[in-house]
Amino acid sequence: MTERPNYDDMVRQALMRGLTQRRVTRRDLFKYAGVGAGSLSLASILAACSVKGAKKTEPTGPTTLPETAGKVDIANWPLYIDKEGKNAAGVVKGGTVADFEKATGIDTRYVETINDNEEFFGTDIRSQLGSDQPTGWDIITMTDWMIAKLIDLGFLEKLHHDKLPNVTANIQDAFVNPWFDPNNEHSFPWAAGLTGIGYDRNKTGRDIDSIEDLFDPAFEGKIGMFSEMRDTYNFIFFKMGIDPVTATEEDVAEATTILEQQRPLVRGYYGNDYTDQLAAGNVWLTMAWSGDLFALQLGQADDQDLRWILPKEGGNRWSDNMAIPILAEHPADAHDWMNFVYDPKIATQITEWVWYESPVKGVQEMIAEDGKDHPNMALLAEDQFVWPSAEVLANTAPYKRLDSAEEAVWQDHFDRVVLG
Amino acid sequence: MAVVAPTVAQPSAQPPARRSPRVRWIAYLLLAPGLGWLFLFWLWPSIQMFITSLQTGTYAEGYTFTGNVGIYRDVLAAYPEQLFRSLVYALIVTVACLAIGYPLAYAIAMRAGRWKNAILFMVILPFFVSYIIRTLSWKFILADDGIFLGTLKSIGLLPDDAQIVNTTSAVLGGLIYNFLPFMVLPLFVSLDKIDPSLLEAAGDLYSNKRSTFLRVTLPLSLPGLLAGSLLTFIPVAGDFINAELLGNPNTTMLGNVIQVQMLEHNDYPTGAAISFILMAAILIGVFVYAKLLGTEELTG
Amino acid sequence: MTDVDAAVAFERAEGRGTSNAPRRRGRKKGWFLPTFAGLVIAYLFLPIAVMILYGFNDYAGKYNYAWQGFTLRHWGNLFDDPDLVTALQNSIIIAVVVTALATILGTMIALALTRYRFRGRGATNMFIFLPMATPEIVMGASLLTLFVTFGVPLGFGTILIAHVMFCISFVVVTVKARTQGFNAEWEEAAKDLGATPWVTFWTVTFPLILPGIAAAAALAFALSIDDYVVSTFNAGKTVTFPLWVYGASRQGVPATVNVMGTIIFLVGVGLALLNVWFQRRREVA
Repeated sequence: MTERPNYDDMVRQALMRGLTQRRVTRRDLFKYAGVGAGSLSLASILAACSVKGAKKTEPTGPTTLPETAGKVDIANWPLYIDKEGKNAAGVVKGGTVADFEKATGIDTRYVETINDNEEFFGTDIRSQLGSDQPTGWDIITMTDWMIAKLIDLGFLEKLHHDKLPNVTANIQDAFVNPWFDPNNEHSFPWAAGLTGIGYDRNKTGRDIDSIEDLFDPAFEGKIGMFSEMRDTYNFIFFKMGIDPVTATEEDVAEATTILEQQRPLVRGYYGNDYTDQLAAGNVWLTMAWSGDLFALQLGQADDQDLRWILPKEGGNRWSDNMAIPILAEHPADAHDWMNFVYDPKIATQITEWVWYESPVKGVQEMIAEDGKDHPNMALLAEDQFVWPSAEVLANTAPYKRLDSAEEAVWQDHFDRVVLG
Repeated sequence: MAVVAPTVAQPSAQPPARRSPRVRWIAYLLLAPGLGWLFLFWLWPSIQMFITSLQTGTYAEGYTFTGNVGIYRDVLAAYPEQLFRSLVYALIVTVACLAIGYPLAYAIAMRAGRWKNAILFMVILPFFVSYIIRTLSWKFILADDGIFLGTLKSIGLLPDDAQIVNTTSAVLGGLIYNFLPFMVLPLFVSLDKIDPSLLEAAGDLYSNKRSTFLRVTLPLSLPGLLAGSLLTFIPVAGDFINAELLGNPNTTMLGNVIQVQMLEHNDYPTGAAISFILMAAILIGVFVYAKLLGTEELTG
Repeated sequence: MTDVDAAVAFERAEGRGTSNAPRRRGRKKGWFLPTFAGLVIAYLFLPIAVMILYGFNDYAGKYNYAWQGFTLRHWGNLFDDPDLVTALQNSIIIAVVVTALATILGTMIALALTRYRFRGRGATNMFIFLPMATPEIVMGASLLTLFVTFGVPLGFGTILIAHVMFCISFVVVTVKARTQGFNAEWEEAAKDLGATPWVTFWTVTFPLILPGIAAAAALAFALSIDDYVVSTFNAGKTVTFPLWVYGASRQGVPATVNVMGTIIFLVGVGLALLNVWFQRRREVA
């Protein structure tokens, strides 16, 4: 043994003392507290303490588009693009992204990072937008109602339609001038789809066709619901026989009670990660977005039989839309991307992989053409849920448009459900 | 990790008195930058959080101070189960860690001989891997069709719907796993310093292993037990990762509510109020605990 | 995880501590305790072993669930994802800067507390204790309210601020444990020999407390690089390694995460073993 001081022992003594010794007498504490309080007057504290509203009252962005920067950062949802050569982490190289890089020379970072509208807004972009910083994204893809909210907050750049010739020429009429963005001033759709139920037929042991199946006690602990408030409430409104678009506060309260009763059966309230849970076999049936199930079927295990249905009570109709957040660093390149994906050939390439409705004219026809050689593509071209017929659409509803006060009330109700 | 460290107080021997004002001036100079940092970024935010909790407004329009104390009542009415769970889970996990950690620490300190250091090192080793990855690894191991349950199911030992992940047990299991070393290390430190001759003497006196343990070993290890319990209880009560990754909607803790309110809904007053309640609950818990064990000095 | 006790026990585990207690000679050795300890250690290692193993899984598709054969490809692909590389860089840079800042600030406080008498020492001790008694999520949330109120943009800077904040107390406590009870006579002797306080500090005091500072720095580094909770509140668009892992895990954990975990594990083990080896050499010499 050396002559060094025995640190180890010192530490242990200190530990012992730390637990047994009085640190500050109470009198000391009061004394210091008094000094502290005296030096800060109440008025000065309160003056310094309001949180600025996030809403932008004046436009922040440039009125003219800058030069192309040679770089673009795109945030999108998983399973939403053809991804030949996609690596395990969700970064896409190859397929449409590679074609875009080849065609334009723009270095493209496409990340499948959006799991849930609220979560992405709150965690990834909110703080930057609120403090006038770039979000780090040039394109974000958000569901219709979130686009409305972002426009309301002044968080989206106005688009330069003159830089989007493909878009203005090829967009389907049904997607022009949507309710959430008059005249498409701030957004153009990426894809549209339906919310229904996805399930593993081998696990459930029977066909699923109704929202009631999500309430079947036989599936206790194997049921997935959505953390997207609007999706989940719409389902309950269908179950209650109410048109979601006209739902009142009382309806929401009742729907909340129903959801709370259902909760003991529910395994989780998921964002896009429901796909992960379904693939892992953790949930047997879950609310699901129409196109995802096709992608999951491609990778399903031998003992899985994944399916998607539109419940007989009804399903949700929505669109996800590309928009440019204010102060985006490469807005010109973002326009180039939007324009590129509205090329019908490119849109066909994407749609053949993602199995969601393309807002681009002629895509369905081109897929049907490919269907002559590929039976799968023929199926896609005919799929009534990808290209919803009037009949199917009649059995769907969009989300109710909520003003911020109403949204807060709904959110309070919904928190009681998802936060247990 | 925010945990109570055990070595906070002063040594009984005061530092050498240095009366010259110049030297004292140096002491303040040494303190200033670090304490300044803590004032700016610990104390001030804590005060700010309290002020924020009394504001009203919306994210879009901003939040202004209205002295809305009622929010505390509202929040307690809205999330009583989560508060209850945070505290009860923390209690269960602390007790479980103690039950597992005490024999382990005892075995290492008393029985490991020359392997003592090596075994202690083994206990710390897994914790080089980051917290999130460790927790995800449990989620993977315990998945319904995963390597553990899947195997048991395929040989027919378990029914098809057996599950562990997304249950209360999984959350508690994850917490116990993640915080076990917080219990073991302080216990080891205090057990290891017990002089074996004391135990021999006790053996001669009581000539009974059980009495020796209860009358000598246990009391002497009490500081470690107390420190370990706090080190476990406090971070567990504030945890949300385990409930998020391994839990279900019926296992959410206060931490999950804070995370959602602050980050997803941008409802800062609500998030701040809940944070304050969590902090108060923990301080009260620590105080009661110290009272029960008769060490009221702990909280000063 | 890591905390002061970890640091203390950790030094022991590395063989740095020199316990003066004589080796115990247990008479009757039961089987229960060793078996129990073995089982607990196996339990502690189980998730690590599985993590390492599945970093070699040759899975098809997106989900790394079933074992489908051995491959090294995830090790080769490790740096293919630019976002993962950025996250790692951020984490390492932040941890290094935080370690430097927190170690300096904390050591200064520890020195003041143990070497000087001054008014408010008790209160200072109490104040140092409080951040350690605050759950991480409360620290993260309270800092966020501060930053939001003053419109401070979240990002690299705010992560640094937060990490330094929660590391300082741990540094103070760790260094103090070393400084306390250290022999002031050596300093007196230096002074008697005519050394200035400045020279005394660097030639006598500093070398004596250096092991404590090193332990504190290691602790600060570990705390910073593994932090998820405080960072998630204050990161803005800056992504650190734990944040990246969490994000990636929502869509099926890619095997590169297992590989990164394995590497971090091995680096930690390597550093610890190296430390033991140096220690042995020094003691032999």
